[in-house]
Amino acid sequence: MAAGEKIKAKIKKNLPVRGPQAPTIKELMRWYCLNTNTHGCRRIVVSRGRLRRLLWILFTLTAVALIFWQCALLISSFYTVSVSIKVHFQKLDFPAVTICNINPYRYSAVRDLLAELEQETRGSLKTLFGFSEITSRKRREAESWSSARKGTGSKFLNLIPLLAFDKGETSKARDFRTGRKRKVSGRIIHTASDVVHVYESKGLVGFQLCSNDTSSCAVYTFTSGVNAIREWYKLHYMNIMAQVSLEKKINMSYSAEELLVTCFFDGESCDARNFTRFHHPMYGNCYTFNNRQNETILSTSMGGSEYGLQVILYLNEEEYNPFLVSSTGAKVIVHRQYEYPFIEDVGTEIETAMATSIGMHLTESFKLSEPYSRCTEDWNGVLITNIYNATYSLQICLHSCFQAKMVEKCGCAQFSQPLPQGANYCNYRQHPNWMYCYYELHQAFVWGELGCQSVCKEACSFKEWTLTTSLAQWPSEVSEKWLLSVLTWDQGQIKKKLNKTDLAKLLIFYKDLNQRSIVESPANSIEMLLSNIGGQLGLWMSCSIVCIIEIIEVFFIDSLSIVARHQWHKAKEWWARRQASPCPEAPPSPQGQDNLGLNIDDDLPTFTSALCLPPAPAAQVPGTPPPRYNTLRLERTFSRQLTGTEVPAES
Amino acid sequence: MKGDKHEEPEPGPEPAAPPPSTDEEEPLLEFHHSYRELFQFFCNNTTIHGAIRLVCSQHNRMKTAFWAVLWLCTFGMMYWQFGLLFGEYFSYPVSLNINLNSEKLVFPAVTVCTLNPYRYTEMKKDLEELDRITEQTLFDLYKYNSSNTLVAHARGRRDLRESLPHPLQRLPVPAPPHAASRVRRSDSSLRDNNPQVNRKDWKIGFQLCNQNNSDCFYRTYSSGVDAVREWYRFHYINILSRRQDTPLLEEEALGKFIFACRFNQVSCNEANYSHFHHPMYGNCYTFNNKNNSNLWMSFMPGVNNGLSLTLRTEQNDFIPLLSTVTGARVMVHGQDEPAFMDDGGFNLRPGMETSISMSKEAVDRLGGDYGDCTKNGSDVPVENLYGTKYTQQVCIHSCFQVNMIRECGCAYIFYPQPRGVEFCDYRKHNSWGYCYYKLQDAFSSDRLGCFTKCRKPCNMTTYKLSAGYSRWPSVTSQDWVFQMLSLQNNYTVKNKRDGVAKLNIFFKELNYKTNSESPSVTMVTLLSNLGSQWSLWFGSSVLSVVEMAELIFDLLAITFLMLLRRFQSQYWSPGRGGRGAQEVASTPASSLPSRFCPHPASPSSSLAGPATSLALSAPPPAYATLGPRLAPSGSMEASSSAHTPGEP
Repeated sequence: MAAGEKIKAKIKKNLPVRGPQAPTIKELMRWYCLNTNTHGCRRIVVSRGRLRRLLWILFTLTAVALIFWQCALLISSFYTVSVSIKVHFQKLDFPAVTICNINPYRYSAVRDLLAELEQETRGSLKTLFGFSEITSRKRREAESWSSARKGTGSKFLNLIPLLAFDKGETSKARDFRTGRKRKVSGRIIHTASDVVHVYESKGLVGFQLCSNDTSSCAVYTFTSGVNAIREWYKLHYMNIMAQVSLEKKINMSYSAEELLVTCFFDGESCDARNFTRFHHPMYGNCYTFNNRQNETILSTSMGGSEYGLQVILYLNEEEYNPFLVSSTGAKVIVHRQYEYPFIEDVGTEIETAMATSIGMHLTESFKLSEPYSRCTEDWNGVLITNIYNATYSLQICLHSCFQAKMVEKCGCAQFSQPLPQGANYCNYRQHPNWMYCYYELHQAFVWGELGCQSVCKEACSFKEWTLTTSLAQWPSEVSEKWLLSVLTWDQGQIKKKLNKTDLAKLLIFYKDLNQRSIVESPANSIEMLLSNIGGQLGLWMSCSIVCIIEIIEVFFIDSLSIVARHQWHKAKEWWARRQASPCPEAPPSPQGQDNLGLNIDDDLPTFTSALCLPPAPAAQVPGTPPPRYNTLRLERTFSRQLTGTEVPAES
Repeated sequence: MKGDKHEEPEPGPEPAAPPPSTDEEEPLLEFHHSYRELFQFFCNNTTIHGAIRLVCSQHNRMKTAFWAVLWLCTFGMMYWQFGLLFGEYFSYPVSLNINLNSEKLVFPAVTVCTLNPYRYTEMKKDLEELDRITEQTLFDLYKYNSSNTLVAHARGRRDLRESLPHPLQRLPVPAPPHAASRVRRSDSSLRDNNPQVNRKDWKIGFQLCNQNNSDCFYRTYSSGVDAVREWYRFHYINILSRRQDTPLLEEEALGKFIFACRFNQVSCNEANYSHFHHPMYGNCYTFNNKNNSNLWMSFMPGVNNGLSLTLRTEQNDFIPLLSTVTGARVMVHGQDEPAFMDDGGFNLRPGMETSISMSKEAVDRLGGDYGDCTKNGSDVPVENLYGTKYTQQVCIHSCFQVNMIRECGCAYIFYPQPRGVEFCDYRKHNSWGYCYYKLQDAFSSDRLGCFTKCRKPCNMTTYKLSAGYSRWPSVTSQDWVFQMLSLQNNYTVKNKRDGVAKLNIFFKELNYKTNSESPSVTMVTLLSNLGSQWSLWFGSSVLSVVEMAELIFDLLAITFLMLLRRFQSQYWSPGRGGRGAQEVASTPASSLPSRFCPHPASPSSSLAGPATSLALSAPPPAYATLGPRLAPSGSMEASSSAHTPGEP
């Protein structure tokens, strides 16, 4: 205890805490202006003449304002990026290439499931367009199907009837199944009045979707019957396929051996084992080349078509679903390893009986994340759960978001995207009116009303392959014969002879091995910012951080303490006056009593004084004329000698 | 000087301790009474680091010289650095920024053309003569016997041939020397690169002459197909310009050409497209143009969220010699930009589904001093004939047309027609072909100056397209698809794919690149750098410069006042002048500070300085101190050396 007291006393003795050196704020300001190194301030006090003083105040304030403005500009532009573009020439990793047949399942395999739907589609085609039974080679087969199913009622048309609207008459519609007119309530999504190209036709075709309580309905009309039938078919198709298990679907789709007739990569032969399968609900089995399955990413040593991937695809046109897909070909998508291929959104179609050469050019982009831009590396900070087993991308986020909304709003998941946890795919056994819900939701999604676009951030780094496509007739007239027969022999499992319209050749290669990287880097660093701010401070006022600390000390701490002291004395006086009668002899404590700093700063540090060092000894050399009275007085900072204050130098 | 009175009673106007009582009436403007006082004040209060050492420490020559050298060095360094900084700033450097934005995108305008300008049946009347002559020429040159019943007209061939100027001729390869012109030579030199076969010893071409047939040249082609096409096109242009009636807008053309149109899975309506007629590419339909009521937006990438069109590409009623391609032509361009189908089109194949994926790229250049670009084309000396947004293409075409009108007196039919000018036709302007080809040559070698006059626009948006093809409709679905189309759209061709084409245009990705420029040295950074340099070498600031300015002002003012006073004292009343002088004289006496710098006038050594100066200053200075002649030379020196350096 005693030791502690001692230390305390010692500290008190050695480090005296003194108040500000001026008794009033005005004095303090004057003292500050005279002593500060900041330009301008001194002039305010030393200048003679009101106009001069005013001008100097104006100049100083302008300089301060300029400093603030410029520093604000500097700070606000701190988070800017500079971009550098580098071109490397190096051995490039070959991207993952996913190949899908446009047709998802072999029609012969899914026909059992879709027979009823097909029959009804044909039936409605007949009623709608007077379309007599098809003249294709499948006629006999189809007839047998239709005769076999004659007895069963048309359940699909019952669920969602196809309607034909007469021209200009949108509220009444003809129901295909019954043939009688029925009143269509609800809003018509596309009114016939502003539809352009319905001329000779029998009007519009569409279907009506209702919500659960059938109170709100929407009619979807299509100007072209082709689109109407396709959409209607797709709806039912999704319902049916949602009830089929994944294994069965995979079996119904094409195998890798079937799809890929030949494969050649970087001058070496490859086969179906180099491809990994992934099942896409709308495109069936897709096969991804170089998907890092065996932990090595293949790379090409050379640019050019000889060193890329060359495959011949077998796309059996006979097995195409006539209503679901209307075009023939395959889809190819080039993407990063571990990235989910959005085959339905992007992807390049390739044509049968053609050799499609796709030249790639790689561009890598790296963005700076948070304070610079709103991008993200991974799922951190994105409030969406990932339903894909893949790295983050904007597309994945958007689709995950939509699926989550779908489960939330409609109670079931949409067929063409992966299943979130604890949900199952929509089918109208369990969710009879999911389609209305889905259409509404999808509309809102496409128009950006679900907020998914604002929740999902873009990815910070991405690779982009710019593709250049060129086409050539393949196989050539002269090579066709031997090529086809050899390929037929190769493809042992297919019984029939290959036709050239069933084949497509695809070449994917790097055009050159130049890789372009676009890298963002911060344009400003902290050092740059500080030096710029220092430059501004120096330019206008020759100020520095020490000046700023000085300003804080004087203008905040000292001023506050002066005000506080002033108030304290006031309060004390008031208290004394109140208790005046008991002790009137209590002397009012002078304001500057504890102002011991006074004797220190009577020696004004000007440049001159600094130059004329040591002034004091010289001045006190005996024989010097005694300093005159007014010079002595001048040495005091504060002209008004406070009562009780002592100037030791004089005494 | 009215403040003298007020100042006098004060104990001392020493700058270090100015009058504390400001509530006391203070003069508006005060001046020092002497140069010495002024310099003392200045030395006391200035903030310029080097100057103070130089000017205010004069009692040591050595020191002064040392400081002068130092000061000059830093001064030079600073100005050298300043020069570098300003040089950098005024070279207006730009830095390139690449932003990757991802947000909803405005779908661009899409123009689709039929590739057939007119129904042959409608044009037959006009083209009859031309066709007959073409066939005749083909027969003459290539012994190609067309299936048409030309034989019936065999008699009239010669006469008819005369009726068309510029007949197609076969020319021997060594060109007729008299017909050689610059255009021809450039053409032939180009063509000479082609490996010549014996068969091709002949070239096909036609002759073009100027007004009075004094100068002629041949347009020659090595391939007969090119020659016939170009020749036919030339005549076709003349016929078109004679057709004064506006090409009739077939009311049902859209329904006949575009079978189905969907955007974002929603059918299009009439508000979504506009129509125009192109003399070569036929009926063109622009979707999502600027006068569209609400522009299409893409919120999602992918083929389902774009424009999907089913087109008729049936090849009936095509003009046989003009259209050698079949299909449709599509172009993606920005809203409010004219569709230059020639420059940026994309042909679609019939029987195919063409999926065009787009990615957007925007370029923002800095205009003004930073680069040669124009914000809106208002400062480009070429009249915009299109009435649309400025693009370089618009400007170049307008420039050509303006030159064409000036040189040839008529307007080229493929470019817009200004008011009061008619399209070129050799019946009215018999030498326009000559003029046009000459002009074309001058244009492409930029002798017209179009390419230098037309500056780049500062903001540009480009769409990069890449296409994928698949067969459409597929074998299994073609039956019902064709059936439906024939029922709904009067589609006539069955079981044949060539009559239809499908087109999907969509955004491949929603993030688009913006290449923008920004000034790499802004005013703020320039000032910061100047300030850094200034602080580093000099330690003064803008306020120091103001101090210098004040000093100069004071000097001038004092000089003026002294002259005035002297004038007063000499020529006016000496008594008054003397009193005034006394008044003035008293002030410097009292104001001499005890611890000021040594008097500038005393050149004595530094150590003894203060004492002697004090001793010197102690007696009240005489009146003469005010006089300019007694003003010590040292202070004058100081003044001259003080204000020159302090002027950075």
